[in-house]
This record gives sequence, structure tokens and C-alpha cells, in this order.
Amino acid sequence: MLEVEEYKHQAETCVRCSYCKFIDLNWITSSRFVRQCPIDTRYRFNLYSAHGLLHSALAELEGTLEFTPKLMDALWKCTLCGGCDIRCKRNLDVEVLQVIETLRRRCVEQGKGPMPEHKVLADNIRNSHNKYGAPAGERLGWMRKEIKPVQKADLVYFVGCASSYQQPELALATAELLKKAGTEFMVLDDEWCCGHELFATGQLELAREVADHNIKAIENLGAQTVITSDAECYKTLKVDYPKILEKSTEDMPYTILHITEYIDQLMKDGKFEFKKSVPMKVTYHDPCNLARLSEPWFHWEPHYEPPNIAVGKVWRRGDKGIYDPPRDILKGIPGIELVEMERAKDNAWCCGAGGGVGLAFPDFALWTAGERIEEAETTGAEAIVSCCPQCKAILSRVTEAKKTGMKVYDITEVMLRAT
Amino acid sequence: MGIPGEAYQALQSIVGSDWVSDDPAVCEADHLCASGGYPKDAIRPACSIEPASGEEVQAIVKLANRYRLPYVATSTYYLGETSPRKENTILIDLKRMNKLEIDEDNLYAIVEPGVCFSALQAELFKMGLCTFVPGCGGHASVLANTLFTGDAPTGWRHGLGYRRILAAEWVLPDGEMLMLGSRSLSKDFFWGEGPGPDLRGLLRGISGRKSELGVITKLGVKVFPFISEKLEPEGRAFHTHLNLPTNRFKWYNVRFPAKENAINTILELGRCEICLVVMTVPPLFRTVARTRGAGCGGFWEGWAQLGEKINPKQLELRILLFGIGAEKRLAYEEKVLLEIVEENEGSAREAPARDETNFMAADAICACVVGGRFHSQLSYESIDQDVKFGDIVIEMTNKHKPPILEEYGTTNWLCPYDLGYITKAECLRMTDVEHVDELNLWSLDCQEAFLKQGAYTNFPDDEVFGAVWGNYHEKERRIKEAFDPNNVSHPK
Amino acid sequence: MEIKGELMGIVGAENATDDPEVLSSYSKDSSVSSPRLPDYVVRPKSAEEVQGIVKLANEYRLPIVPCSSGIHSDGNTIPSQGGIILDLRRMNKILGISGRTRMARVEPGVTWGKLQSELEKHGLMALNPLLPHPMKSVLTSHLEREPMLIPKFEYSDNLVTAEVVLPEGEIFRTGSACVPGFPDKSLAEGVNPGGPGNTTWGWILRGAQGTMGVVTWAQVKIRPRPKIDKTFIIPFKRIEDAIQLVYRIQRRMIGEECLILNGLNLAAILAKHWPEDFDSLRGTLSPWIVLLVLGGGWRCPEEKIEYEEEGLQEAAVELHVPELPNSVPALPGVERELPRMLRRAWPGGKTYWKFADKGACQDLFFHTTLNKAPAFIQAISQLSGKHGYSIDDIGFYLQPLEYARACHFECNFYYHPDTPDAVGKIRDLFTEAAETSLDMGAFFTRPCGLIANLVYDRATSYTMALRKVKQLFDPNNVMSPGRLCF
Repeated sequence: MLEVEEYKHQAETCVRCSYCKFIDLNWITSSRFVRQCPIDTRYRFNLYSAHGLLHSALAELEGTLEFTPKLMDALWKCTLCGGCDIRCKRNLDVEVLQVIETLRRRCVEQGKGPMPEHKVLADNIRNSHNKYGAPAGERLGWMRKEIKPVQKADLVYFVGCASSYQQPELALATAELLKKAGTEFMVLDDEWCCGHELFATGQLELAREVADHNIKAIENLGAQTVITSDAECYKTLKVDYPKILEKSTEDMPYTILHITEYIDQLMKDGKFEFKKSVPMKVTYHDPCNLARLSEPWFHWEPHYEPPNIAVGKVWRRGDKGIYDPPRDILKGIPGIELVEMERAKDNAWCCGAGGGVGLAFPDFALWTAGERIEEAETTGAEAIVSCCPQCKAILSRVTEAKKTGMKVYDITEVMLRAT
Repeated sequence: MGIPGEAYQALQSIVGSDWVSDDPAVCEADHLCASGGYPKDAIRPACSIEPASGEEVQAIVKLANRYRLPYVATSTYYLGETSPRKENTILIDLKRMNKLEIDEDNLYAIVEPGVCFSALQAELFKMGLCTFVPGCGGHASVLANTLFTGDAPTGWRHGLGYRRILAAEWVLPDGEMLMLGSRSLSKDFFWGEGPGPDLRGLLRGISGRKSELGVITKLGVKVFPFISEKLEPEGRAFHTHLNLPTNRFKWYNVRFPAKENAINTILELGRCEICLVVMTVPPLFRTVARTRGAGCGGFWEGWAQLGEKINPKQLELRILLFGIGAEKRLAYEEKVLLEIVEENEGSAREAPARDETNFMAADAICACVVGGRFHSQLSYESIDQDVKFGDIVIEMTNKHKPPILEEYGTTNWLCPYDLGYITKAECLRMTDVEHVDELNLWSLDCQEAFLKQGAYTNFPDDEVFGAVWGNYHEKERRIKEAFDPNNVSHPK
Repeated sequence: MEIKGELMGIVGAENATDDPEVLSSYSKDSSVSSPRLPDYVVRPKSAEEVQGIVKLANEYRLPIVPCSSGIHSDGNTIPSQGGIILDLRRMNKILGISGRTRMARVEPGVTWGKLQSELEKHGLMALNPLLPHPMKSVLTSHLEREPMLIPKFEYSDNLVTAEVVLPEGEIFRTGSACVPGFPDKSLAEGVNPGGPGNTTWGWILRGAQGTMGVVTWAQVKIRPRPKIDKTFIIPFKRIEDAIQLVYRIQRRMIGEECLILNGLNLAAILAKHWPEDFDSLRGTLSPWIVLLVLGGGWRCPEEKIEYEEEGLQEAAVELHVPELPNSVPALPGVERELPRMLRRAWPGGKTYWKFADKGACQDLFFHTTLNKAPAFIQAISQLSGKHGYSIDDIGFYLQPLEYARACHFECNFYYHPDTPDAVGKIRDLFTEAAETSLDMGAFFTRPCGLIANLVYDRATSYTMALRKVKQLFDPNNVMSPGRLCF
């Protein structure tokens, strides 16, 4: 969360050019898939956009605007996908996403937010250490006899709530892959929810609590590396934890990797190979939290020199996210034909589930996911592959509801089929 | 105060309750258009409404007349001084109106206000056609920008906006629908002039482009022949570009020892009818482009380094050769260019065959990376006038810097159009947030100097120029009064 | 007498008249429009004299009909309500030529013949319509938006700025010519049509047929004259095939003059000896001909022609066009002559090509897109039969505009004016052809004479807006009343 001075400065720097609403203009290849921002595309009022929210942030700070029904609607329907943030940074340097996150935080502090569903989530985490309110003791219930985490290894597998409770097949696939890669791994006995939605919904006290717990648990295991196949957990451990601790990613007591980074590196080192053919035409959906939002965090105390130079700041502009490893993996699987959607990589359209939107506004989240499926269908692909349980879940709901015939896979499932 | 309840209900029945809102946050977000300098008289609209069709726009405008409510129309709300300035204004946001049709054989497109250039360009590229992309960015509204100046570097071939307007559907300030051009007699948009006297001239007035004369809801725009080869995009985040087929395009950067040599080159290129882009590259834009992704700090570092090297007497041209229509055309254009350059003592360097900003995206917003505010003096006239225009601006700038940004006495952006028949001089000056007033003083000094020295400027101050230039402002006022008797279309 | 005396006081006694013979000569033209007499004819020499006349006309509510050509064929200069004919032919100076700005500034009385021959001395040329009559005013052609032979977008909108005496007598300059001191004491060079104030005032004058004021000079685009040329005279049996080739040529942005004529019109243009050449050509020319001139560039002219010809060949191969001849067998050397002809007015002293065969011609013209032209040709051909008029006597001319974005479609009904009822019959055919074309989507961008009523009755919203503008600037309705929709 930004301090007031910096918050005001960032919001004021917006010139309302509307770049935040579009994908990178050089990558536009049709008039259908031009827009980046789900709330802008759906609701069209300027409020429903990054520049609208930044403008509102300024007005709220100046006391000329309250959290009105529409502001609440626009603010909490934002999926925090980060498309606006990196698009703005092509031309200007404005910390768009941080302003929006801070505005959410201010809303929570004033007792106006978050949404009731987010409060339920917080209660679940507080009481059961997972976002579903399921029994904490069942978190490791996905494990099978043949999956044997070890007591001591360099690597700990952070499973995440979704894979633990709702999509255990993904946890199993990840574990199986690590086994096939000859990698020993640990799991946390007392893994708590990473707190991704807590950070996203401005509930920072509890978020800090879960962060402290999980970091300590990792340290206690003595693991140097944390691996996950959940993009939300990945981004949370890589970016949100150091952020709330006012540290940089490199200062954290662990290195976080996504399973795709890990396998991709093994492939490139010649230590892993996909041997079985998986004949399938697929398109790849970049999860926001793995792609745009996953660059390392750099802690910076605001310090400016005239006219507007941020001294010592390392800017995160979205070009260093995890874009290539999943693609290289898919290309390395025999039989896979990878076709790209028009809005790919840093231009990827959000699945709609992020930022707490899937919980609080399921209809809007489904609409957003529906847009993505429609785009995927234009590629002629049989399946859409992603790297995030949340993406998989919501995209699957759309394909099942619409009976499109398109399959939705997590990349771990595809990788496993190829081993 | 707000608008009357029954009026608001009527608005809801026109567009549906989802598409009109008087929520203070919606109105707050809509009270300022994009701008490098904030219009001081901008206020919140009473409500924002998003129609889906020309008929809905008509109904809204008629309602506004009934209740004497001011209204203003926007689309991308980018530039154009359309921030509401009266209480109880209805802001008509045209973004939902985004239908696009293209007549591939007959080189025109029909656009609604919500269609942006990049979307149109993407569809045209598939047909071997193209449009221009203005300097403000490919995300700007085709309709609105074409009615404005509509200028872009490819204007060397594609002219200025006013030259690209075809037929139109125009909701007049009183809510009646006026069809211009071929649309007046049929459903076709293919031709814009007439019948008889050409009222499109009013569309581009200060009244027209600032939404003071109603709302254009559909416009035919000209498109142009292009190549069939694909321009492949490459890159990520802030470093994206299009790869230009090397059998069709070649970039040259050409430096000249003196301005006059560059000017003579431009004129000769026009006589020879070659190239697709010919323009100077102002140091400001050059630095912004080179330091893209390095932020404000990177810009200032680059600017300081550049300052040591700038010779204001020299001028550099950026030229794009275009091999359309025949394989040997590119070689022909290159030969002619290099011949002219040599005669004018220029030094030409070939540049990489890629494009960041002319075909899809654009650079102009980068100028705000310094976090400051800007103002411009603009002239579209002969290149000789524009050079002198620029000299006047430099002289006036010297009186006001600091706090106006040091620009090292450089010539401004010269962008010739229509093979050099007309040239834009854009003289952008920047300062920081605290010194915006200095920019206004600078602008006034410039305007008075233009008047004194007989220069033409495209954005004249009515107080300064009106009486001297044929009382155009009075004529425009009469037109405004005739067409907007209730004075509801973005009134002053 | 009082009015005449005042008019003489303004222009000089020898330049104002109410002589019946003179009045009669201005009461008609070569069109099928009905004759109407004016009350006076005056010949001013300057904008100030024009201003004086306009002010007088307002005082007495007298109509004014300006004209600047010595030949009229659209009914535009026939006064419908009497009044003053303002013959501007004494204002015939070429006020300036600049090879640097590529502009020429001309008074209304400057003819195409005069301008092109003057420009030719400087290696320059103006963009001209098809073989204008030698007495045709350059300014009138531009004001009336006549189509130019070179369909390059960069050269269209070629009337740039103008000085006009507005209907109430104010002298106003459009675009950047509004700067005081223009042209000699201003930095502005009058090349921007926009403004002053961003309204493109000059556009309201174009197509106005003298209803919005009297233009006393205009600045128009000129360009370098190609140093060498290569002509192609490409025959087609079917108009559809000719059109496809033109589309391809224009998409490749090659060529200078480019037009389609039917055999009849080309025969009329090329025939030297009448009637033998004409009859012979009519018999041998193909039904449709694409005329294309490739012009050598200002530099490396041969190489320009070389690559353009390469492009043309490629287009021809794509469309299976069997041959690209440069000449007409019956007229050796015509390929060298044609570019020169097309860049000049029709030679004085030679019967104008449209009158050479039968003595009179009524033109029907409008804008459409090239791909719709065949349907219009068929419809008009059918109508001509219905009116007992031979299809073989109709000339057709298609002029692509702006890289074939659209085309000027023109059909020429040739007739013997002295034949009994000829005028009436042609008028009937012409009117029905115009109505039919309108129904089919023709766009009469500059409706003249009889057609104006048809057009403005249909273009109701445009008519209302035009009348509003007219009322603002000509409250006494003195400028060409009865013209267009006024």
C-alpha cells in the first residue's frame, strides 16, 4: 500500500490517455480483440477503468468523493490483472495497480469494504487456514501413498488451497512430475492459505499474519527453494510477501519458482524430456499472476528529485514475467501444436477470477472468462492450457456451461500425459 | 443540483438503466478529458449516458433541448476540450457505438465514434489497405480525430483529417439528423462533398470538433492502398514494434548541415512524389523514443546527454521509403532519395526496418513521461512559413524558460503532408505542474507575435485574431446560434 | 436607369449594359435548360468593383448571377429571377505562380488554355479536367469540383484558398489566406484551406454555383510536369474488365492520367478530320478503352516509367488482359500526342469535341463507385431505347477519383439541336435518366439545372441545413436565387 504522498503523486500523474484500456497497440490484429480491461469492456463508463479509478482515488483523497455504489462496483470488480499497469508504463511511469490496491485498502479502513464474500473468505482463513473454510486437517488429503515427500530436501512444494482442496489432481500431477524429474521435495505440515485474496482485498492485517506464518514455516523446514504450480501462490510469495514486509524479493529467505520455470530449466539443461506424444492443438492462457504480475518486487522508499525523477527505483514494467517457460514446455511436448490467441503474453485477457472478483461477482467473472473462451475458439484449438487452478476452474465452468467442446487443462496435467 | 427527475427517467428509458448514471463517482471520472494541462473551467457532468445508436443519441439530444440541459459528446475523451463547463451537463459517452464496416474495393470505411484507429488498421491490413494512425495514439477515436486535425507522419501520403472525411450522419444540436454527402441521398457513405455546397466545412469548426454543434454519429473515412505482406509484431511490454518487410520499406535518418538543406530536400521529395513518411524528429520525441522504458529518470539522463550534442542549426529528417505497386519501386525511391540528399549535403543512414509508432501505436503520450504539463502552438502552412513560425516560438520560449523546459533552441516538429503541399509545425513546450500558468503566458506571447508577423496558426485565440481574420469567430457564432437556438450543445 | 447608372458608376460605362442582344446572349447556354433573361450585364475588373455591385444588389434586392467562363453547359449561369449577370472575364490575371509551394493564384477569368500554357513554360502543370473548353474558367472548374484526370489522392481538394465577396458585400479570405498582408506581406502563403478558426469555409463555396458569394481569386495546386510519358490505350470489350484493370492500377498507385472512355467519345476526341476520321474510328475502336499515361518522375524519369510499367504488366497478367497497346493503329503517333492533349484545354479554333458530331450535347454526370458503373450504363442504355435514342450515340466517360475510391460517371447525350423537338426529347430522356440513376443510388454531388430539384427534394435534411446557412450569409437572397435549393 502506498503512503499518502506517493499515492497522490501517482494518481495525479495519470493524464487519462486511456492507453490502460487497450492491449499493446502494435499487437492488435483484429477489431474484435482490442481491449485489455474487463471492467472497461463490460461497463464502458470511464470510471470503470484504471484512469477512472485513479481519478477517483485523487478525488476521494481530496474529500470530494465518497465510496459511492458505482465506485464500489468499479473498484471491487477490478480483477487486478495488471494489464492497465504495464500498458501505462509503455508511455508513462505510473504505479497504476498500486494506486488501485491502495484505494481498496482505504475503502477497507473506512469500513466500506471489502465485499461480504471477502469477509467470509477472511473468516475462513482465520479459522481454518484455507479460503474455503474446509477442515484444516484435510489440507494434505490429496496425497497418495506413492507420493512421498521427504523430511529433508532443498525444495518445498507449496500446494495452495485450490490444489489441496478442490483440484487435487493438480497437486498430484505436480508431485508426480517432481518425482519423474527425480526431485525430492518437502511439503509444509502446516501450510496456510498464501493469503492472495487477502492482499487483493485490502485485508492486510490478516494477510500479514498468514505471510509471517508461512515464511516461518518455510524457514523452519530449512528449504531454500519453494516451488508451486499455483500462479496466485507464486505471485503472493514472490511479490506480496516482500511487499508487506517492506523488503525486496531477493531479500526473502527463499527462492520461489513456478513448476514451469523448474521443468523448463531442467529441459534446457538436458535433464528432463517429454517422451510421450500428446497430439493436441492447444492455445495457452497466460495467468496474470504468473505473467504480468510476477516480476520480482523491489522495495523503495519514495524519494524524488525534480521534476519527477524517482531516485533509486527499480520499475516493474511487465516484460520480465514468466511468459516463455510454459510455451517452451508445450513446444517441447511431442504432438502438441501451440497456437496463440490474439491477446497473448503481456496482452493476455484476464480469466476473470482474480482480485476477489470470482468470489464477490461470479456473474461478471464468468462473463470475463466467456470472453476468453470465445477468443480461444478463434484459434481453432481443441484445448486451452493454463498454469493456475483459478484460471482452469473458471474457464472450465464456461466451457461446460456453453458446451463448447473446448477442453481446459492445467499445464501440469498436459506435462504428466507426456511423461 | 442535478437534472430533473423526469428527465433522468426519460434518459433511462432511452438507453436502459444500465447505461446512464448520475453516480458521483461516474460523473467525477467523466469531468476531465485527457490533457496535458487541466482545463480550469471543467466541472462534473450531472450524469453520463452511453447510447448504442444514432437514434438514441438523437433522443437524448432532443430531451436535452426540451429541458434546456447542456450536453457534450465524447468518445475516447482524449483531446478536444470537451470537459463539461456548465452545471447539469449530460455527458454523452459514445464508446458503445463501435460498429465498423469496410468497403475493400472502394477504399473507405464507415465508423462509429467508438472505433479506434488500431482496430480499423488491423482489419485494413488484412485487406492490403491502411489508414493513418495519429500521433496521439492508435487508441484514439477514428471519427473524432479525423474531425480534429487528424494528422500523422504517414500524412505525407494520407493528408490531414479534413481530407479524409466522406459522408456523415450528424445529430444537429436540436436533435434533427443531418445526412451529409452521399448519405443524404442513399445509405452510401462513399462520397462526402455536397450535394452542392459542402457543409462538411462546418464539421471541423471549433464548434464542430469541440462538440458545440451536435454529435457526429457515423462517418465515412477514406482508407488507402497498402501492401499485402503482413507487418509482424514483435516484443513485449514497452518494447514492441512491427517488423516491416524489407522488400517494401526502408527507413533512413538523414542529417543536414543546415535547416535550409533539409527544407529543400523535403520540397524536392514532394516534387518527386516518393516516400510514405517524411518528417523532422524533434529532440524531445527522439529522446522519449530512445529512453522508452527507462522512465522519467532515464528520459532526463538522455535529455542531458542529447543537449551536449544538439546543434540547433542542424536538422535531421526521418524518411520511410515505400515500395508499393511494383518490386522495383523501392530501389527507385532509394536512388532518388540518395541523389537528393547528396545534392543537399546530407548524410543518410539506413535505420532498422521496423516501426514502433507510425502504423499502430504512437509516441505522443510519452511526452508526458516527465510528469509535467504541456502546451502547443500549431500551424499548418507552407514549410517556409512553418520554419519562421518555429523561430517565433523559440524566441518566445526564451522569454519564459525556465520554468519552461530547456529545448536547446531546436526547431520544432515539422511534419509535411500531401507530398509537402502543407506542413505542420508543432511546437510543444513543457513545464512542471506548478508552473502551468507560465505556459499560458507563453502561449499568449506567441499568439501576439504570430499576429504581428503575419503568421498563420491553427488554434488562434479569438480575442487576438478574430477581428483581424475576417471576424471568423462572429461567423461561427452565427452558425452556432442558427443551429443551436437553445444553446445546449456544449455551451460556453 | 437609376440602377444602370449606378452600375456604370462602379464598373465604368463601357462595362455595364442592358442591351437586349447582350442580355439575350446570357439568357441561355448549351444545356436543355429553359432560357431566362437577366436585366443587366456587368463586367467588373476588381474585387472592389464586385463588392460595389453586390452591395448595390442588396440595396435593391436584385439577384446576381456570377459567371466566369465564356461557355456554359449546365444551366448554372442562366438567371432564374432576372437581375445582374456578373461576368468576371475581365478579371483574368494569373496573380502568382510558385514552383516552391506548387501553387498558382488565378482570377476567375483565367482560362485553362491560358494557365496551362503559362505553367508549361516553367515545367509545371495544373490538374485539369478532361479537355476543358478553351473558354472554360479554371476557377469555375475548381469551384464546381470537376473531376481531374489524375486520380491521385495527394492532388485532390486542389482548390486551396480563395478570396470571396460574401453575399452582403464583405470581402473574406478563406484558409490561411486570411492573414492580413497576404500574399506579399505575410509569412502565410495561403496553402491551408482550413480556417480561419478551423471551419473550412472554402468548402461551402465549392459546389455553390454562385449562391454563396463571388470568388475573386483562388489558389490552386500545381505540380511538376512529367518529363517523359508512356501512353497506354487499352481496349476492352466489356466495361467490367476495364474497371477491374483500373482498380488494380490504382491500388498499385501507379500512373498519371487514368480514365475510361467508350469508343464513341474517344473517336470524337481523337478525330482530326471530320467526319471521315470519326466514322473510321467509331468503326474500329473497341467498345471501351482505358487511357493510362505513365509519367516519368521529376528525377530518373525512365526508371519511374520502368517500374510503373512492371506494375501494370503484373496487373494485366493477374486479370488476363491480353495486350497493353500504346497506340491506335489508325492514328500513328497518337500516343505521343495524347499526354499533351490531356494536359491542355481543347485547342481554340477547333470545334469542341462534344459538339463536333451533332452540334450539341447534354451531359448527365454523378458520382458512384466503379463497380456500380456497369449497372448504370445498362440502365441508361435501356432508357435511351425507350426514348427512341440510339445507344450508339451516347458517350460514356468514367473518371476514377482518388485511387479509384469512387468515380465520376458521365454520359453524353449527343443530339442535333436544330432537329424538331430535339431539345424536348433530350430533356425528357435526360430527366428520366437522372431520376432512374438517383433511384439506383447515384450521388449527384453537384446537381445542376433540372437535376437540382430532384436532388434537393430527396435530400431533405441537407436542404434544410443549406437553407439555414444561406439565410445566415445571404439574408436578402441576392446570390443566384432559384439555383440549387434556394
